[in-house]
Amino acid sequence: MKQLFKPYIFKNILMLLILLLIVKLVWFVITWIWLPSSGVEHVGQKGGKALYYRVKLTPNESSAPTKPTKLPTQQRGSIDDIILLAIYNAKDVTVITVKHKGKTKVLSRGDDINGFVLENAGRNFATFTKSEKSYKVMLFKGKGKNNNTAQASSSNAPSSASNKPKKVAGEVVDAGDRKLVDRSLVEHYAKNMDDIYKNIGIGELKKDGNLQGFQITFVRKDSPFSKLGVQRGDVIKSVNGQEINSYNAAFGVYKNIGSIDNMTLVIQRGNEEMELEYEIN
Amino acid sequence: MQMVKKFFILLLVLWFAILFFMPKQALYYKLEEALLKYDIKINEKNIEEGLFSLTLHDSKVYVKGIQLATVEKIDFFTLLFYTKVEVHTLLLDESLKNMAPTEIDEVEVTHALWNPLNISVDAQGSFGNVEGDASLMDRHIRLDFNETKNIEMLKGSLKQDEKGWFYETAF
Repeated sequence: MKQLFKPYIFKNILMLLILLLIVKLVWFVITWIWLPSSGVEHVGQKGGKALYYRVKLTPNESSAPTKPTKLPTQQRGSIDDIILLAIYNAKDVTVITVKHKGKTKVLSRGDDINGFVLENAGRNFATFTKSEKSYKVMLFKGKGKNNNTAQASSSNAPSSASNKPKKVAGEVVDAGDRKLVDRSLVEHYAKNMDDIYKNIGIGELKKDGNLQGFQITFVRKDSPFSKLGVQRGDVIKSVNGQEINSYNAAFGVYKNIGSIDNMTLVIQRGNEEMELEYEIN
Repeated sequence: MQMVKKFFILLLVLWFAILFFMPKQALYYKLEEALLKYDIKINEKNIEEGLFSLTLHDSKVYVKGIQLATVEKIDFFTLLFYTKVEVHTLLLDESLKNMAPTEIDEVEVTHALWNPLNISVDAQGSFGNVEGDASLMDRHIRLDFNETKNIEMLKGSLKQDEKGWFYETAF
């Protein structure tokens, strides 16, 4: 009987097939024992609240958000007539004394002079609004000095009043119930994340290995962060209603910080929960 | 001679069988598990398995839950003795523009059997051209910025020598 295949060819093919089968089996065992059957999927946070933007409608409580516009020189001249002589700043009341066209006048929040409505006052300045624009008047320090001239600026423009060499432009001013933060300061730290960590330490707060939130580990003295009212050991609970319990939530705040006009920071200090209010302008 | 020939045929078949039957997708899932230890997640739109390669399309890269980058295409290619990972059009989140170049056109990471203790890296993007290698023996990475364009935001973490700007770190 004649053979259809040469036995050695058949043997070789069979050997190769066995080899393929062994490789397949090995991979099968590896997959079955060691390799996962599905990948790791990132699932977005559910139930997270979007950042809310607090808007105060009462004119004597907060300045209305305005679009950044360049002021005409004409308007700048009119605010120059107001000389800020004195400031009294308490928790609930702000009273200033100004001199306008030779007359002295006492103003509280909401009062107006020459069309400029007093909005707020800091340690050495007062802010007025007129036609939805914001003006900053520095405290008069004495004759011969030009530091009492009004500095007109739109509410979103950075203030250069405290622009000192080697320091970040802008300042944080305690206005009693809230703190006024220069937008230039916020913009600087939004652009230079490294500078944040030189001034404030923020560490993870974990429970059973799971991230619960973030805790302030240090605040550098004389830095703008020390004026924000936060202390070492404070636990950051929420920012504008958004719970800060994940990196994603914290990064969300960081990404939006440039467009926020008001910020409510809820912190836990010891057993007490505190609310800190900031106005960025 | 016949024996040698037979041995090489067997070796070739074995090599081909290993690559052909390799559960590339499952191995990639294993890589995802390894990356999860560093809080890195990759969400890809679809995975395409080839004979010697695996391609991820439209991937989103999350670090600690934050979406930091999107990648148009990631190619894994292996011949066992030569492995290459190509990343095409990596876009970093806009919020990181002050820290790193937001657009990286291509990154190529290669490892070859004839240089087993080194992994070479080559990248092109808005920063120019970067070439370098990672030494597995010294646990050291050096990346040279050859044709620098816009690296102002990176200069804080770069060093400079007579060749130009470079990045150096240990792992």
